[in-house]
Amino acid sequence: MRGEDWPKDRFAEMSTPVRACSLVFFSISLAVGAALVLDRYIAHDLEVPPFLFAVAVSAWYGRAGGAILALVLSCISFDYFFVQPLHTLSVSASDLPFFAIFAGFASLVTWFSAIRRKVEEELRRARDRLEVVVAERTQQASLLNLTHDTIFVRDMNFVIAYWNRGAEDLYGWSAEEAVGKHSTSLLHTVFPAPLEEILAELMRTGRWDGELQRSKRDGSHVIVSSRWSLQRNDGDRATAILETNNDITDRKRREREIEGLNQELTKRSTELEGTNKELEAFAYSVSHDLRAPLRHMAGYSELLQKRAANVLDEKGNHYILMVIESAKRMGSLIDDLLSFSRIGRAETQKTLVNAGQLVKEALSEVRQETEGRDIAWTFGALPDFYGDRSMLRLVLVNLLSNAIKFTRNRPRAEIEVGSAGGQNGEAVVFVRDNGVGFDMQYANKLFGVFQRLHQANEFEGTGIGLATVQRIIHRHGGRVWAEGGVDRGATFYFSAPTQ
Amino acid sequence: MTTYMTTTNKLGRILMVEDDPKDVELSLTALEEYNLANEVVVVNDGVQALDYLYHRGTFANTGVENPAVILLDLKLPRIDGLEVLKHIKSDDKLKMIPVVVLTSSKEENDMVASYKLGVNAYVVKPVDFHDFVNAIRELGVFWAVINEPPPGSMKR
Repeated sequence: MRGEDWPKDRFAEMSTPVRACSLVFFSISLAVGAALVLDRYIAHDLEVPPFLFAVAVSAWYGRAGGAILALVLSCISFDYFFVQPLHTLSVSASDLPFFAIFAGFASLVTWFSAIRRKVEEELRRARDRLEVVVAERTQQASLLNLTHDTIFVRDMNFVIAYWNRGAEDLYGWSAEEAVGKHSTSLLHTVFPAPLEEILAELMRTGRWDGELQRSKRDGSHVIVSSRWSLQRNDGDRATAILETNNDITDRKRREREIEGLNQELTKRSTELEGTNKELEAFAYSVSHDLRAPLRHMAGYSELLQKRAANVLDEKGNHYILMVIESAKRMGSLIDDLLSFSRIGRAETQKTLVNAGQLVKEALSEVRQETEGRDIAWTFGALPDFYGDRSMLRLVLVNLLSNAIKFTRNRPRAEIEVGSAGGQNGEAVVFVRDNGVGFDMQYANKLFGVFQRLHQANEFEGTGIGLATVQRIIHRHGGRVWAEGGVDRGATFYFSAPTQ
Repeated sequence: MTTYMTTTNKLGRILMVEDDPKDVELSLTALEEYNLANEVVVVNDGVQALDYLYHRGTFANTGVENPAVILLDLKLPRIDGLEVLKHIKSDDKLKMIPVVVLTSSKEENDMVASYKLGVNAYVVKPVDFHDFVNAIRELGVFWAVINEPPPGSMKR
């Protein structure tokens, strides 16, 4: 009876033999009690069944140990309470059948119990194995569902067998709707090549990839990058095709846009080439057709001057002189303009050029302009440029020539060529003079074609030099700028790549 | 100057191919100063130039000798200067005649094309009249007086 008072968990905590003993004592006690009650109040000869029941219960739940214990206890109790002489443990031959029945019953039930346990055990193991498999499969399936990629499996007749969530998201069909359907007709697949060829490649290599056009559930078109993998069974027979898809509709659209833009660009560049050709023809025409009348003007004016110099008065001679000078000036403007346009069209041949060497060469070119002048030159360390040698030399010739020209009024000209720190991959060279300088508010006009900040009778020139400098430097991907002040000299900077 | 005068009787004939009458006049004026103008034959386009060289058409009755030098403008009506040059330099009878391209154009393409065809000199007519006179004079003196023309050229 104490067992019932114990909390269930304490009963569960007990070891199996203790539990079995408790069960046996309890059930035999109950059987004794029940048999005594039956024997006294209801009928004789009914005392055996409670014992059989107790033995059966003990054998069922207490296994072999419980069965033996129950057998011994029930034999003793039966002998003590119900076999004559009562309340003794004496055994007679006539009692043996009872004991045999108890023993037979106990072993029978124990045997059944053992069989049941064995069956139960096997069932449990099978269930456990099944649970593990189910858990694995569930995990795999949910992993496939986790990915955003579209994955589905179809058999060799293109009937869909598996359809992940990515496929649902992409095509709009749920797994329930898609599984069992023919994939090509469900998705209106358009293949890039005959299906036989695709399948032949799949069979040969085990894979295929390409771009497919398909329709979603809502009818909209989608372009996917599709990869197929062939699954074979143990007998090497193809059983299924696993297909993964990536939606590349946007990418294809952008590619088409880029293609369109490229075509547009090609068209534009052809147009530009045409325009360039026209410009070249124009330059040719300027060179050829405009120079001829100028030459004639100058020529006939000189002939007139020669013939009529005595007849004409001073003014008349002056006018003829002006005509000749103007023609010459226009001739040099045209020549400058042509050489300027040639710089834009000429091919650049880039090498590593030492700026110091270029300055030396440029100086020898402008030597003539320094004659009779007192010029203090200062040369700093100069970098190497990566550029077109003759073009960069022209830059320095122009800058040095300008410095010489615009320091003309100084009793002692000071011209410095040096290097200033450039940004990465480029170097900066400057040419500084103490000449007439310029007003910074006109700095933006310095580099324009035919832009001049000084009057022609002050400083000669066509105004093409700095425009040429800028054009050359821009063709090299560099920058030009200037600093100066009226009567306070000028500094011209240019940058060009060093590699 | 006297040197040139003494050689006058050995002057070569100059063929000037020039369509612009003003250029012709100015050139002749320049050559006149050095007594070189008399032996200048002027034709006005490429067709005439080739007719002259092959003694055909209006030039059928001219002599059989080649000019000592050809002063050739590039921009000409009908057949242009480069085409004429090509004809001359690809003809065994004509290709020994010195050809001087005398043009307004400073175009590099023309210059390269001319030299490729075998031109003997390429001169850009200067705008300045003095320079122009000097250029014409030097050309005339060099090619018609100093230079010994190839055999078969016309000499006076």
